[in-house]
Amino acid sequence: MSAEETAREDPLLQALEGTAAVEEAPPRGPVRQLRIPMDELATSTRRLIDVGGHFAGVFRSESEDSLRALLALRGELIVLRTPLDGARSYPSLSRVTPAARLPERELHDVSGVVPLDHPQLDPALRPSADELERVVTGPETFVLPYGPIRSGVFEAIQFPIDTGGEDILAFTVRPYFKRRNLEARFQGLDFDHGTYLAERIAGTESVAQAIAFAQAVERVAGIEAPRLAQRWRVVHAELERIANHLDVGIKLAEDAALSVGVARLGVLKEQVMRLRARLCGNRFGRGVLMPGGVRREPLLSSAEVIQAIDSFEDDLRRDRSLLLATASFTDRLIGSGRLDAETVMRYGGVGPIARACSLGIDARLERPYGSYGRLGFRIARTTGGDAMARFEVRLEEIDQSVHVIRQALERLDGDMAALRIAITDASGEGCGWAEAPNGEVIYWIAIEDGRLREVHIVSPSLRNWPLLSESYRGDVLTDVSFIEHSFGLTPAGADR
Amino acid sequence: MLKWLFRGLRHGVVTTRYPARPEPAPPGFRGRIAVLGPGDAPQSLGDLCPTGAIQVEGGRVSVDRGLCVLCGACVANAPERFGFEAEYETAVRRRSSLVVGERLATALEGLRPTLGDRSRTLRRSIHIRHVDAGSDGAEEWEIQALTNPYYDMQRLGLFFTPTPRHADLLLVTGGVTNSMREPLLRAYEVMPEPKAVVAVGTDACSGGFSATTGEVVGGVDQVLPVDVYVPGSPPAPIAILHGLLLAAGVVTEEAAA
Amino acid sequence: MSVVLAVGYASLAAAVLAAVVSPRAAVYVTAAACGLVGAVGIASAAGYTHASFSIASWLGFGQTMLVSDGLAGIFLAATGVVGAAVSLALAQRSPTRLVGALHALILLAICAVIGSDQAFVFLLAWETITLSLYLLGSADRDRPDALVAGYFAGGVSKLGGGALLAAFGLLYAKTGSFEFAVWAHQAPNLGSVRDAAFFLFVVGFGSKLGLIPFQGPLPPLYAAAPGPSAATISLTFFAAFYGLWRLVFAILGAPPLWWGELLVAVGGVTALVGILYAVTEEEIKRFLGFSSVEHAGIATIGFGVALVGEAAHLPRLAAAGLLAATLQVLMHGVAKALALVAADRVQTATGQAEMRPLGGLGPRLPLTATGFGLAVVSLAALPPFGGFVSEWLMFMALLQAFRVNDTIAELVLALGGAALALTAGVALLAFAKLYGGIFLGHARERLGRRHMPTRLAPGFVALALIALVLGPIAPWEIRWLGHGLGGLLGSDVIAQAVTWPLVLGPVYHGFSVMSPTWLAAGLTTFALAAFVLVRALARPAVRRAPVWVSGTAVPVATVQYRPEAYSNPIRVVLSGLYRFKRTVEVREENGKEIRVARTRVVPVFEDYFYRPIAAGSVLIAGRLRRLQSGSLGMYLLYILAVLLAALALIPALGH
Repeated sequence: MSAEETAREDPLLQALEGTAAVEEAPPRGPVRQLRIPMDELATSTRRLIDVGGHFAGVFRSESEDSLRALLALRGELIVLRTPLDGARSYPSLSRVTPAARLPERELHDVSGVVPLDHPQLDPALRPSADELERVVTGPETFVLPYGPIRSGVFEAIQFPIDTGGEDILAFTVRPYFKRRNLEARFQGLDFDHGTYLAERIAGTESVAQAIAFAQAVERVAGIEAPRLAQRWRVVHAELERIANHLDVGIKLAEDAALSVGVARLGVLKEQVMRLRARLCGNRFGRGVLMPGGVRREPLLSSAEVIQAIDSFEDDLRRDRSLLLATASFTDRLIGSGRLDAETVMRYGGVGPIARACSLGIDARLERPYGSYGRLGFRIARTTGGDAMARFEVRLEEIDQSVHVIRQALERLDGDMAALRIAITDASGEGCGWAEAPNGEVIYWIAIEDGRLREVHIVSPSLRNWPLLSESYRGDVLTDVSFIEHSFGLTPAGADR
Repeated sequence: MLKWLFRGLRHGVVTTRYPARPEPAPPGFRGRIAVLGPGDAPQSLGDLCPTGAIQVEGGRVSVDRGLCVLCGACVANAPERFGFEAEYETAVRRRSSLVVGERLATALEGLRPTLGDRSRTLRRSIHIRHVDAGSDGAEEWEIQALTNPYYDMQRLGLFFTPTPRHADLLLVTGGVTNSMREPLLRAYEVMPEPKAVVAVGTDACSGGFSATTGEVVGGVDQVLPVDVYVPGSPPAPIAILHGLLLAAGVVTEEAAA
Repeated sequence: MSVVLAVGYASLAAAVLAAVVSPRAAVYVTAAACGLVGAVGIASAAGYTHASFSIASWLGFGQTMLVSDGLAGIFLAATGVVGAAVSLALAQRSPTRLVGALHALILLAICAVIGSDQAFVFLLAWETITLSLYLLGSADRDRPDALVAGYFAGGVSKLGGGALLAAFGLLYAKTGSFEFAVWAHQAPNLGSVRDAAFFLFVVGFGSKLGLIPFQGPLPPLYAAAPGPSAATISLTFFAAFYGLWRLVFAILGAPPLWWGELLVAVGGVTALVGILYAVTEEEIKRFLGFSSVEHAGIATIGFGVALVGEAAHLPRLAAAGLLAATLQVLMHGVAKALALVAADRVQTATGQAEMRPLGGLGPRLPLTATGFGLAVVSLAALPPFGGFVSEWLMFMALLQAFRVNDTIAELVLALGGAALALTAGVALLAFAKLYGGIFLGHARERLGRRHMPTRLAPGFVALALIALVLGPIAPWEIRWLGHGLGGLLGSDVIAQAVTWPLVLGPVYHGFSVMSPTWLAAGLTTFALAAFVLVRALARPAVRRAPVWVSGTAVPVATVQYRPEAYSNPIRVVLSGLYRFKRTVEVREENGKEIRVARTRVVPVFEDYFYRPIAAGSVLIAGRLRRLQSGSLGMYLLYILAVLLAALALIPALGH
């Protein structure tokens, strides 16, 4: 086939026909990088969104002085590279997709490069708790500053709520209160230390972050982790998913003042956390992953894990049917914080939030990584789009995770002996991703002589925050905690 | 509701008896780092640690558990010198007690009296306000776990309260980011006397990984007087409980390991 | 005593004239006169005396007396005592000549309504009240809404006055006399005229009380009345309730069941509508106006229970209902006058009629805050205050529904109880909003320094003290009321509501008990004990820390709940009733997106009831004007036609 014919059959190049897009370097697996001139960046982004692309993020890469926009497509992750060549501004992508608003503010704060025509370019990264702006004016309205220290054991974030009393007129999300600038901390670390740091970006999704990081390194190095390691990665990742979804259940039951439900789900979650601790010595699965495989033999045999999973599944089944039959619980979730698929697509929402709007967005199936391509499971999807639908998606995913863990452990056979392969040398840029419990996390890394030069993280929290604002449609103040907890997002992920 | 009641009763008691009886950590649990081997240590040993917790002075090795994120890089690369201890009771009342190993003993810093010593009436009912000053989110999970039936901290008279104005004890996680510094100070200010501060997690003890990024002041004790340090990344629920009881004066500190 | 009563009335009349010379002195004279009348009222209700004096023969209507018997004594006592205190409060605010004269005139007219023994004086005094209210409502010529309020009140009152005139005309046609005694004597033989008269009385008095659908004019009237004279307006309740007690219960008597059922139903709906409008009201005096509507509804429920008791030949039920209703009238009268005087003090100090910009006034106006607080706890029926005693007795009276052997009556009483319970619940929210919005929290807007109300406020303090003790001394009040109402119910029935030791119950023994006296004593003791304990045990060091606002340092005033936000959930839940809708309008200004919240509330009654009636009246008036062609012949023709019709009608009614 000639190059022209290839282009004709390639849907990506078809979508970008007529632009000056040039594919750079041969694609590394499902990652493709295109060079786009600055004046065509916005149009190209729009075209890719039109063909079903999910805007994931935009950042400035220092060493090459260029912009990188990430777009997730089914089967492919597209990196659009736009050379800045000293330019201090570019046409904003926020007019193309609202999903770019927060990433572009971040980009502006970090690098000083101005996204022209951005709707709101206030400094975002060092928020002051005291600067409360009323979004909605009117004689009868006022704003409640919910956060950054909120009632309960919650992470720091501020949700200014414009209200006239009970009814919510606007719900604003102000992240970055706990931004630790950890992306910069990667600079100069080796892969080993880099993994440790990746595990500590967002504690509740440590494993997913580590997998995404490790796979980015592996992709740059051009290797794949051994199958046994992949299997154990799956086990840890799915245990993490189960723990996260149970945590959402606990918080929702607590909001509904269902104390026995809280206790029961608390017992289940603690069992999972203890299983994780017995499996690797850390309750969050930290210290397991490394680029090239996993670090150590698991402390439990696969039979022991399966046994634990069996008894967990049995317990969960009873609690779950009781929970879903408790009207005082379900009534608070049904209809609360409803989103529609169109809005989720517009904002590039991911994870259970998107899947609750019947969107089949799941990195494990869209762009299978590790063992997921060889394991059988289905995407949990519902149609409601409300808090109940999100909770149902999570319950269904727990079932799927249990199913996946069993498959991963049952098919371990003798020839899968190697836990890791060494990465001798690597240089270049690459992407890795993983479906964290609350949506896809993407790592873009640049490596120079075995050390990290630059790391950028696209976190599911940041991608979903705007949707939290959007989900308030006639909801009242007492729905706030239900809606927030049904999203299940960790501020640490966005405030990296 | 009756169904829930039976569901709750069915499982019997899972609650730990800690601190009346010790709660052992599972084998292989990464509770804290211990310095094992004596003898001449090369200076390069310090590079093993991503957060700079390992100090080598004149061949003598010490580890600052307040900086250690329990990643295990040192254990993996120098197993003869470092090892994990499956230990839950890691909380201490002095920052300097977190530095272990072959370091020369330094003068002990002054020790604030525990809440129990400052007010006899506070011993049996302590209200806790948690503030996240820049954690990675894992500490919150472990703190929240204290209310689940396994730990059930209410049985020890420990309660969370939504407002610091009712709190006796401030439980701080994270290395204190620039944005959270003022809110944290405000929370401490509005607490009534006597009050205590417990720093939960390595980030809260020293800033951990984020200590050098410039966005974090590097430990709660840079901002507030800290009564108890609970190192760990994150510390296990029992470790946090130990720290709370230590601050309350219900348990006393074991001899530094 | 009769001399004292005569002097009291004469002084009131003199005060009206004196106002032309010195309004302030006139108001003081009014206060003294009210004191005299009140004293006579207290004595005659207690049965010590029966005062009366003749005011000569009026235009041939026969001997006309002003009488203070037991029933009149109760209402004269209330009018006198509260009127005196309100007069003192008014005197301090340097009233204008018009306001001073109207104040005295209204009090004179109220006392004349209560004292009159025949219909002509009654009607004359009643119409005087109507006219004075109209003038008082529109006294403040600078405010266009005041004029509207005056017209509105005047219009509705005219309707009520017309109803009374019609009722009196009917009764005169039947009995040939204007004297109440004659009517009472002949009442059993009146037949269907009695029912018609009852209905007309309810319309007539209900129009002043704000019974549904007449609840409209009262709130704007309160708001438009200058200074504390809104409190004067609130006193007209005594006259209107007296009218119901006297003309319906004492004179018409022997009611069929449906009278009571109608009143319980009307009262229940009125109470509920009143408080539901009050809770969303932002203007203090309008709020209090709707609260008055609510209380009128509650008292009407009690009166309805009394009528049901009479109809069902259950004298104890009648006593329980009438006792509760009378107490309600008294308690509300005192508390509402206090609240209105306090509201005027707030308005004087801040220049604000609305709650919205207020807040945190407690430390700045401690006396006003205390007095207002006392009024609010009584109006919200919190134990052990007066409003609680009367509402508790009201509930107990309604709970006796099972004794009535009639399904419909039982059902109506049960529904009345439900309406009352809901009203009481919403009232708690409403008054918490009112008091909290004005006195608690932080000021929402910077209010310039205004004239601060004087601390030396004998009228205000007197009202506050009365409001304070009315609940705890309820057992003695009930004994006193027992004497006063003895003529209506039999002398010993009401006394059974009080048992030893100072315990209250519905007139039926062993049903339930409650003692405001012991409650007050107990609560005071506990409060004192707590205070002493705290002082004894607590360390003296007090450290003031800023208010906790989620870790932010934003000013509390900007984030604290607003009064309208406090009641907003009710508006949202009952958006059908309020026709409440809030929309957020998005528009671009200077390239920035601006979002403005628009609130839309349709005043249902105004739009769907009063306005069509007003439009209809204007239309009819327009049509009628064509008849006035200006030709003398035509006018003579009209007069002739009316005369013929009247001549035909009177014999027809007479048989």
